[in-house]
Amino acid sequence: MDYTFQYGQVWPYLPYLIKGAWLSLQIAFLAFCGGMLIGTVCAAVKTFGGGFSRHAVNAYVVFFVNTPQLVQIYFLYFALPDLGIFLSSYMAVLLGMTLNAGAYLTEIQRAGFESRRQSEMEAAEVLGFSRLQQIRYVILPHVAKVLFPPLSNHYILMTLGTSMAAIFGVEELTGRAFNINSETFRSLEVFSIVAVIYVFVTLIASVALALFGKFAFRTKMRVV
Amino acid sequence: MAHLELDKVSAAYGKLRVLDGIELSVAKGETVGLIGPSGSGKSTILRVLTGLLKPETGSVRVAGETINFDKPADIRTLRNRTAIVFQQYNLFQNLTVLENVMIAPIKVHGRKRSEVQAEAENLLEKVGLANKLESYPDQLSGGQQQRVAIARGLCLKPEILLLDEVTAALDPELVSEVLDTIRELAAEGMTMVIVSHEMGFIREISARVAFMADGKVVELGAPADIFDAPNQDRTRDFVGKILRH
Repeated sequence: MDYTFQYGQVWPYLPYLIKGAWLSLQIAFLAFCGGMLIGTVCAAVKTFGGGFSRHAVNAYVVFFVNTPQLVQIYFLYFALPDLGIFLSSYMAVLLGMTLNAGAYLTEIQRAGFESRRQSEMEAAEVLGFSRLQQIRYVILPHVAKVLFPPLSNHYILMTLGTSMAAIFGVEELTGRAFNINSETFRSLEVFSIVAVIYVFVTLIASVALALFGKFAFRTKMRVV
Repeated sequence: MAHLELDKVSAAYGKLRVLDGIELSVAKGETVGLIGPSGSGKSTILRVLTGLLKPETGSVRVAGETINFDKPADIRTLRNRTAIVFQQYNLFQNLTVLENVMIAPIKVHGRKRSEVQAEAENLLEKVGLANKLESYPDQLSGGQQQRVAIARGLCLKPEILLLDEVTAALDPELVSEVLDTIRELAAEGMTMVIVSHEMGFIREISARVAFMADGKVVELGAPADIFDAPNQDRTRDFVGKILRH
């Protein structure tokens, strides 16, 4: 191998890349929050609702979990304009990721709702708790604790998933890497730096989430 | 006068009849043991007495008052007078030992936190867990968790304590620490109904023992009579099998 590394050409772009990483985090965060909103409502419908509403939620989940996210965003960005709906690339990516997250988070949260412990509910009832007190003191703390690790995982996955936005010309971390690559042709240098930034960003998020989980829910620390 | 009276109580889970005309009374300060094979209805009696299962027919009287199981106020009265300790402890996993004991008196009965805390600490000291106040249930052994559950029941100041196979989930070395706690309560005059397979213990602690089978009280009497000179064949059969071990 007689490749000469020339990081010198790429270093000056570091602040530019970091700004891109910031945009990646933004997209992931917004899509996750939107997805949580959809997921919570849909999980509640799946657990407690009936009839039509449950079928509608099932159709949504099956459709979005079983198609590639990339195809979903392609549809929003390139197919919707044929129907007269125009989305910016940023909006298409954000909406696509939100809808996709909503479907996954529905399933994750449904599992949490269903894991409430009958024995504790019975104890609460015998001790005289009202329905509201049962939810407040028994169901919610338990569900939050059970759901925290899988939700954290999904959040990390979504952070990495934002790289898909580059394909649509959104200048997040990967998109900016494409730009630098086409200016300098230093692919190895550019993408190794970008990889390290991704690792760094997700590690920070993992540690932060793990610490939060440890203090809020006494979950076991496990970052890597 | 009987403090707790069941009169021809029958109950069912769906179509399965689990209690069939139960007659049982417990005097104030008395300890009554319930023994019998699995599925004979022992635990079901306790579920009725805590309002978790509504009897189909018959009546339950506590301190002379007949409980109407369709009236939430009556169910509340019943739950105020009784406390149950479950076989699987059923502690709140997200609360500390102290919080487990304090939550119902504070949140349900609206009592003052400082007053309840002093009582809860006393009770936990009594069951030998003064140094575990801030621990969570999953950090305790089974015997310790069961003693927390007993303290949680006692903090409600019940008139009647119901114990549902409280040693069944414990390993043999931990059984004695829980039994010691119950012995003390009996000595202090707590009214108790105890479901257990610990025959030696039932015999020692109960004033009277009821042998149950197929949802009926087959025989009721002093421990010596039930264990040494049972009248019914069914009782003799059961006691014989157990004592041979």
